[in-house]
Amino acid sequence: MSAVASPARPGFSLPSLDKAAVWIVLAVLLLLAGLASDAFFKLNYLTNLVRQAAPVGIAAVGVTFVMLLRGVDLSVGAIVSMSAVVCALVMDGKPENLWLGVAAASACGAAIGLANGLVIAHGKVSAFIVTLGMSIVVYGLVQMGTGGTARGIVSPGFREVLNSRIFGNVLPVLVICLLAAVAIGIFLQSRTRFGRGVYLVGANPEAARLAGLPVTRITVVAYIVSGLFAGLGGLALLARTGVSGTNPGAGMEFDVLAAVVLGGTTFAGGRGSVGGTFAGVMVLFIALNLANVAGLPFAAQLTIKGLIIIAASAAHSWIGSRGGGRSQQ
Amino acid sequence: MRPPAIGAPLIPGLPRIYWALAALVLAGIVSVPQFRTLSNLANVLDQSSTLAILALGQAFVIAGGMIDLSVGQLVGLITVVACMLFEAFPGMTLAVVAGCLALAALIGLINGELINRLRMSPLILTFGMLSVLQGCIFMLTDRSIGQAAPSIGFLANGRILGIPVSLLLVVAVAVATWYGLQRSIFGWHLLAMGNSPDSARKAGLNLFSLTRITYLVSGLCAGLAALLVAGRLGTGFPNAGNGLELDAIVAVVLGGTPLKGGKVSVAGILGAVLFLGVLSNLLNLLQVPAFTQIVVKGLIVILAILADRPRRLAQPA
Repeated sequence: MSAVASPARPGFSLPSLDKAAVWIVLAVLLLLAGLASDAFFKLNYLTNLVRQAAPVGIAAVGVTFVMLLRGVDLSVGAIVSMSAVVCALVMDGKPENLWLGVAAASACGAAIGLANGLVIAHGKVSAFIVTLGMSIVVYGLVQMGTGGTARGIVSPGFREVLNSRIFGNVLPVLVICLLAAVAIGIFLQSRTRFGRGVYLVGANPEAARLAGLPVTRITVVAYIVSGLFAGLGGLALLARTGVSGTNPGAGMEFDVLAAVVLGGTTFAGGRGSVGGTFAGVMVLFIALNLANVAGLPFAAQLTIKGLIIIAASAAHSWIGSRGGGRSQQ
Repeated sequence: MRPPAIGAPLIPGLPRIYWALAALVLAGIVSVPQFRTLSNLANVLDQSSTLAILALGQAFVIAGGMIDLSVGQLVGLITVVACMLFEAFPGMTLAVVAGCLALAALIGLINGELINRLRMSPLILTFGMLSVLQGCIFMLTDRSIGQAAPSIGFLANGRILGIPVSLLLVVAVAVATWYGLQRSIFGWHLLAMGNSPDSARKAGLNLFSLTRITYLVSGLCAGLAALLVAGRLGTGFPNAGNGLELDAIVAVVLGGTPLKGGKVSVAGILGAVLFLGVLSNLLNLLQVPAFTQIVVKGLIVILAILADRPRRLAQPA
């Protein structure tokens, strides 16, 4: 492993092709979509598309940090479920419980993230297996909490506000939430010591440790951030659907992971960005939307998602080996 | 030259998991009367057979320092395909079995080939493949489909002289795995690759061919496990393989094979499979709610991975 690619200034010393790739793909897809359907460039359609992407997009912002750190978080799907269910249960249809529900859901997400982070940072074990195990635990807890049926009612006002559109009935509030999450992510990534630490630890954990960085703390905080954003994603999902169901976030970790990898954040850590993740989310949703327009069944979309994960990873490791950077793992 | 078995412990002692297994069985015998019956024992063995074969296939992959997350959905796919074919071509059971095993081996081979050619991390590739295969299953069907041939049902549930047929199958696969990993030149090379791919390459081993064969074996085992699942269920249930890959990995890790590879114990894996089987059996007999069982399962995954923590972490690889 050479130290060539370790980015001193995040997002600056990276190969430009690596960073631009996802935006190029996004532009091409937008063009294709425009050609496929006239309706596509209508403002309503576009804002709706972004609105659909909000739950996955918000969760993906958090997962970007753990992936930058050479980790991974497969428990986000379960956390999204848990957050939606907890929020609905706490709200119980009463308006005075609205903020309590929101706070409880966020706290649950952050708590699961904290558990993930502590086990991974102190146990020094595979994040993949730990978070996969955690997703089973959380799924089981959610099922225990609901008894296997949809329970809990959202407070009046919760859905209405989040699903409304402002600025002359154009911009959905959920879109603003997603953009806000991305903005917070970009701020964390490029303007805080935590963000810089994440890049350095991801690029070379051993060097970061020797340089005196608090590797354990950074790792734990990154998983908390991931859990918290997944919790917020669950709130966005609850706002969109209105009912908590028993496992609304099932399989969402695949969407999130596909989006993050598409956005240029590799499993090898140390490179990628929240901005790229946002572009990755949009590419994923436009691709799935196109698959829908083309009349492909849901099953085909699963296959497409898998192929996107493989193709994007392969492309990034290819670009990485060309640019003299690190190869994957 | 005959290679010494680096997988076998220097002092022939039992893998640690057998102590846990013994404790669990003892607790079961003391506290749950139904646990003591012979038919329950046969039941546990029957139910563990699928996982045992999957875990033995995964042992090859993990011993080589890689991982295969696609086996669960591969089991689902082969189960569905097999049952569809059994119904479409009654009387051609053997041909269908051969075809299904070939298909499973082929998908395994594709995994290995893609890892070689795209130079990708096995984790990511097989993770993507998991989603691809899931999509393939649901493109075929979204509900249970087809019907398993009676002879396949005998394979999964039958008894010869009171011994479950599936147990005989597991023993056969286990002996083959033990020979392949702990006694043959191939296993010697594979473990060397798991220990240090760099050194193995410098020593002149063909890592590409090792990877290919390993994933082919993993696919083949998944195919075999799928036939057992088809026999047990009697029909092609699309979600039959959900989560099985994780169970298999947990069994391998619990059995004392580190995820880093380079070391393997077939006896340990069998012990771990039995441990998981007895645990689930006890939880069922004690009428622990299904959802609580899920939580327990997840906690065991996390505990297993914590127990896997390599003690010689400080040593240079």
